[in-house]
Amino acid sequence: MRITVCWKWVAVDGADPDDRWAGVSPADEAALETALTLAGNGGEVTVVTVGATGSDAGLRRATAVGATHVIRVDGEGLGARDVARAIAPIARGSDYVLCGDYSLDRGTGAVPAYLAAELGAAQALGLVGVDRTRVPLRVVRRLDGGRREILDVPTPAVLSVEGAVARLRRAGLAETLSASTATIEVVAGPRPAEHDVVVTPYRPRARMLPPPSGGTLARVRDILDIGAAPAHGDAVTLDPPEAAQRIIDQLREWRYLPRDTA
Amino acid sequence: MADVDVVVVGAGPAGSTAATVLARAGHSVILLERGPFPGSKNMYGGVVYPRILDQLHPEWWEDAPIQRWVTRRSTMVLTDDQALTVDFRSEKWGRPPYNGATAFRPDWDSWLASKAQAAGATLVCSTTATGLLRERGRVVGVTTDRPEGDLRADVVIACDGVNSFLAKDAGLYGEVDAANYTVGVKETLGLPKEVIDERFAVRGREGVDIEILGGTGGVNGGAFLYTNFDTLAVGCVLKLPALAAQELRPEAIIAGLKRHPAIAPLVEGGDVAEYSAHVIPEAGLAMMPKMTGDGILVAGDAAAMCLAAGIWLEGVNFAMASGIYAGEAAAEALAAGDPSAAGLAGYERRLEDTFVLRDHRKLRRAPGLVLSDRVQHLYPEMIANTVERMFRVDNPAPKPGLRAIFNSERKRAGIKLADLARDARDGLRSFG
Ligand SMILES: Cc1cc2nc3c(=O)[nH]c(=O)nc-3n(C[C@H](O)[C@H](O)[C@H](O)COP(=O)(O)OP(=O)(O)OC[C@H]3O[C@@H](n4cnc5c(N)ncnc54)[C@H](O)[C@@H]3O)c2cc1C
Repeated sequence: MRITVCWKWVAVDGADPDDRWAGVSPADEAALETALTLAGNGGEVTVVTVGATGSDAGLRRATAVGATHVIRVDGEGLGARDVARAIAPIARGSDYVLCGDYSLDRGTGAVPAYLAAELGAAQALGLVGVDRTRVPLRVVRRLDGGRREILDVPTPAVLSVEGAVARLRRAGLAETLSASTATIEVVAGPRPAEHDVVVTPYRPRARMLPPPSGGTLARVRDILDIGAAPAHGDAVTLDPPEAAQRIIDQLREWRYLPRDTA
Repeated sequence: MADVDVVVVGAGPAGSTAATVLARAGHSVILLERGPFPGSKNMYGGVVYPRILDQLHPEWWEDAPIQRWVTRRSTMVLTDDQALTVDFRSEKWGRPPYNGATAFRPDWDSWLASKAQAAGATLVCSTTATGLLRERGRVVGVTTDRPEGDLRADVVIACDGVNSFLAKDAGLYGEVDAANYTVGVKETLGLPKEVIDERFAVRGREGVDIEILGGTGGVNGGAFLYTNFDTLAVGCVLKLPALAAQELRPEAIIAGLKRHPAIAPLVEGGDVAEYSAHVIPEAGLAMMPKMTGDGILVAGDAAAMCLAAGIWLEGVNFAMASGIYAGEAAAEALAAGDPSAAGLAGYERRLEDTFVLRDHRKLRRAPGLVLSDRVQHLYPEMIANTVERMFRVDNPAPKPGLRAIFNSERKRAGIKLADLARDARDGLRSFG
């Protein structure tokens, strides 16, 4: 089996990028772990990153945990479509292409979709479960409103997984050492297209809140959390055993724990 | 067969200098660090004195990642409503070859480790040494938390910081006594550079180091205030048993210090950017382990080399120096083909011949003296009251003599002349 994994290396420190704090998202890590498990012993896992030299550190880590090949496409500041175009020639011929559902810098999550289009492959994005024991592969997709969709995916397919799907294995010491000096294959990347999707900084989704009620003063109080006892929780001082009991009771009341257990 | 000549555990100031020396001597060296990069998990007050680097990295100041050069050193004695400051400034300390500097550990440690890598050492991060490998009583490597993580080496240098697990595992430490440790807590406060320049009367890259006696909420210890480029470091060093007895939280003590009338105007408006805490091996010579075993050397805080004696809080320079000496001694032993304790004896010789153990010997009474109840609770008041009365104008009463004031303040504080004489003698022996 041939699998390609796409990793995005991000210097996390926002305004002031700093390679020391850089890394990939837990979702990207889960993608590699899923790929390594799917490919098993005889399989081939290629990890590809579109990025500058700093991202070699990530590819070394991928090598150390067991990726068969790693490739860096040299490029920076590319839009999702260009990234997909740069990865497509490398990913073509793979049974599966695995991506993280989001990158550390919370981009648009559009690369996997563009990639599926480029490759003419099936796509199943935002997965919360992958059952590798079934052929064809059975996956669970998150839908809005807490619902799930179960899909049997054909090959070739592009899959993107959430971080909770798998935890990346730890690299052995010998592998870490040999990866630290391995040469990383670099291929030239495309120039940024002139008109592409503009990626704006990550913003959390808007939430629905009930309309305000009560008079102005009550609302100001509400916002500032002054006056009346706060609605969510109260502060009590208890001895540890009582405190533990209190927490358990509360969890029962909220139904995080069954009510009847003694 | 060993995988490498030397494993250095911990890429702090001690580990990186040891690795640099060994790599330059042509040995294969692996430098293990548990954090994602060197310095990522490390904290300290904030001032380094890098003179010892002159031999290892000549003109280190050209690329060292410093915040400000310390050109003002103040020592402050605080009571609840008084402050006595001795303030010194030197323009010389603001130009090469400099004296001390404020620096951030993630920057400083990364920089020092990059020098070790440039010399040829292999840095392996996110990897914790979990124990020692032994053969016939000799240390022959370390185990790590990675799969297949054993690493065999002719010499292990433990630079894993205070509470060194490896030094204890090697049986180099005696009983551990909590009274030998202090806990250091620190807040980093963000302020615009111009505001810091103005409040502390400095310019450009000039900076200030203030060491404080008192201001620790009645808990035996000391406090400090340092200027970084656009942040301040304010914190205290607290004796563990005293802290436990007072039932005060360290952050409450920092809050109290920040409210002190002599400190508040300096730190006002600073946004807390970071809060951190760390244990300090305070007792110096009294708690040091055996430095050498068969196949193992211990350096830096792992060997309790931090000098924490009142107006001095120096650990990074002691760590860097002991790292250099450990590296030299290990290289010597490897060249002679004898990594036993006897072969590694050059290490202790170097420590004895240099400031590392000489300063500790000279100042061996200092930690006990500075943290004693009299120095902590009685002297600040006595000194501050004496100075207050000296400068107070009590007309129509005539000016009293200094000796008379001092004696009456001493009596008022309930200090016996014999105790004062003893402390003065200890102080003179240490600091004189
Ligand atoms: C609050 C406070 C204020 C201080 N102020 C100052 C000051 O202003 N000036 C000054 O000079 N000194 C100061 N010191 C002392 C100084 O921080 C230390 O003396 C110095 O950092 C010691 O260096 P080191 O290399 O021995 O150990 P550390 O700096 O502690 O480095 C040890 C390294 O080993 C790593 N490590 C530990 N265990 C393992 C393991 N098992 N496997 C792999 N890696 C491991 C750690 O992650 C760390 O990077 C202060 C200390 C404190 C706590």
